[in-house]
Amino acid sequence: MNIEVRGLTKAFGPISAVTDLSFEAEAGVVTGFLGPNGAGKTTTMQMMLGLVTPTSGTATFGGHRYADLPHPSAAVGAVLDSAGFHPAHTAYDHLRVYARMGRHGTARVDQVADLTGVSAFAGRLTRTLSTGMRQRLSLATALLGDPQVLLLDEPSNGLDPEGIAWLREFLRELAADGRTILVSSHVLGEIEHTADHVVVIRDGRLVTAGPIAGLYGTATVLVRSPQADLFAAKLVTSEVRVEHPRPDLLRIHGLSTEQVAAAAASHGVTLHEITPEHPTLEQAFLHLTGGSR
Amino acid sequence: MTALLAAEWTRLTGTKLWLWGLLAALASGALIGLLALAGPENFTPPMPGLDTAQGIHALLGLLGFTVFVPALLGTIAVSAEYRHRTITTTTLFAPRRWTWLAAKLAIYTGAGLAYGATAAAVAGGALWGVAVLKGITLGLPAVTITALLARIALTMAVYTLLGLAVGALLRNQVTALIAVGAYFYMIETVLMLIPGIKLLYPYLPGGATAALTGFTYLADAIADQTGTSATPLLSAPAGAAVLVCYALVAIAIAVAAPLRRDIT
Repeated sequence: MNIEVRGLTKAFGPISAVTDLSFEAEAGVVTGFLGPNGAGKTTTMQMMLGLVTPTSGTATFGGHRYADLPHPSAAVGAVLDSAGFHPAHTAYDHLRVYARMGRHGTARVDQVADLTGVSAFAGRLTRTLSTGMRQRLSLATALLGDPQVLLLDEPSNGLDPEGIAWLREFLRELAADGRTILVSSHVLGEIEHTADHVVVIRDGRLVTAGPIAGLYGTATVLVRSPQADLFAAKLVTSEVRVEHPRPDLLRIHGLSTEQVAAAAASHGVTLHEITPEHPTLEQAFLHLTGGSR
Repeated sequence: MTALLAAEWTRLTGTKLWLWGLLAALASGALIGLLALAGPENFTPPMPGLDTAQGIHALLGLLGFTVFVPALLGTIAVSAEYRHRTITTTTLFAPRRWTWLAAKLAIYTGAGLAYGATAAAVAGGALWGVAVLKGITLGLPAVTITALLARIALTMAVYTLLGLAVGALLRNQVTALIAVGAYFYMIETVLMLIPGIKLLYPYLPGGATAALTGFTYLADAIADQTGTSATPLLSAPAGAAVLVCYALVAIAIAVAAPLRRDIT
C-alpha cells in the first residue's frame, strides 16, 4: 500500500505551515521524512491521518483517504508525539481499549506487547512510564491492527541508544515484510542507517525527494603529506579541484583514492594518510535546507 | 459500534472512576438515610416529618440535589480524552468522530442509570429501615416512594449525559468542571431571583429537574422569600424531555464544532 501526498497545504491564519507538498512513499522501503524542527513534518502527518484538515490537497493510502479506509487501524498505524495515555490506565489497559476499538482481538495485545518490549512494563500505570517506554507503548498501539503502512513522527525521541538501535532494526524488518514506513526526524544520524528513500522539507515546502544515496553528492579524498604543496600543484587540472585546509592536508575533489595513490607514486610524493571522505548526510542536509535559501 | 461500546466499557473499568462513582452513589444514598434517622422534624428550621407526604418529598428531593455528582463524573469521563490526549489515538481508531462520542453516550447513560439506581436503592432502603426502626408509618405509600426514587435515578442518568455533553463541548476538563459546578451551586439560584427569568424556571435544568423529581422546596422557598407565587412546574415526563433536550443540544453543538476542530 503506497502513500501518495498531493499538493498538501495548511495555513494557520496568515502563517503557512505546509505549502503545496507532494511526495510518495513506496511499500517495502523505509522513507525518511526529514526537516529541521518546525519544518511542518508533524502537521503533514496530522493532515495525512485526518487529524488536521488540510487547507487544500490530499493524502491517500492505496488510493483512499485515511478516514475513507474500510478499516483504518488495520491499514495504517501511527506513532505521534501528540498522542497520550490515561494516567490511571496500565500500559496493558491502554492496549486493551484500542484493541477493542479497532476490533483487533485481545490476543493481539499480548503479541504487540511482546513485539515492542511493552510486556516488561505492561502492568505499570502509564503515568509512571519513562519517555522511552511511552514510545514503545505508542508503537505497540500503532501495530495492534498489523497495518500495512506505518507513520512515525520522531519515534526515537526519548529512546536510549539501545532503543534507537532496536527501533532501527525493527523498522527495517517491517519494511522487508513489504510494509510502507514513513519515519520523520530532524536528526539525520537515525535516518541515515534506516531509510532507503528520503523526503526533505523546509519551511513547509519540499526541498528534495529520492534515494538517500542521491543526497551525498560526489566523494572527496583526504590526503596528508609532508609535500602537500608540491602534490597540490601537480594534481590540479580542469577536472580536479584541491582544497588546502592545513599545510600538510589536502582535500581532493574529482579523483578516487586509487587515482590519488597512483598520482602520488608517479610524482614520487610521500603520503602519510589517504582517506576517502563521504560528506555526512548532516552536511548534505545543511546544504539542502540551509544553502538553498 | 459494538467495538466502540466494548472499548468505552474497557476504558471505564480500567480506571478507578467507576469506583469513585459507586462510592459517591452509596454516600449520597447514605446521607439521605442519615437525615431520615435524624428526622426532618428536628432540622433547623424544622421540616415536615417522615409521616407526612411533604416530609418524604423534601427528603428525597435532597437526594435530587446530589445529581450534580454524576454530572461531574460524566464531564470528567469525556474531557479526560482531551486532557490526557488520548483523543488523538481514539480519532485514529474511529475517524468518524461522532461514533466514539455516541459510544460514550451509550455507555455513560448506562453508568448514570446504575449510579442513580444505587443511590436511590440505598436511600430507599435507609428510609424504610428508619421507618421500621422508629416505628413510623411513612407519609406516602410504598408504590409512590418507589416511583419517586425511580424518577431520581432517571434524573441522575440524564444528568450524566448533560455532564458528558458539557465536557465534549468545553473540552478543557477544569473549565468544564467549573462550569457544571458553578451552574448547580450558583448560577441557577441567582437567576431565580430575577422576576422575569423566574417564569423560565420550569424550562431551566433546575426547574425541569424539580418537575422530574417532584421536589419543589427551592422554588417554594424563593416564592416565600420574594412574596410571589411559585411558578408552576412542568409534568414529570415533560421535565425529563426538557433535560434530555439540553443534553442533545449540547451534544449536537459538540459534534458540530469541537469535534470538527483540528486535533494537534
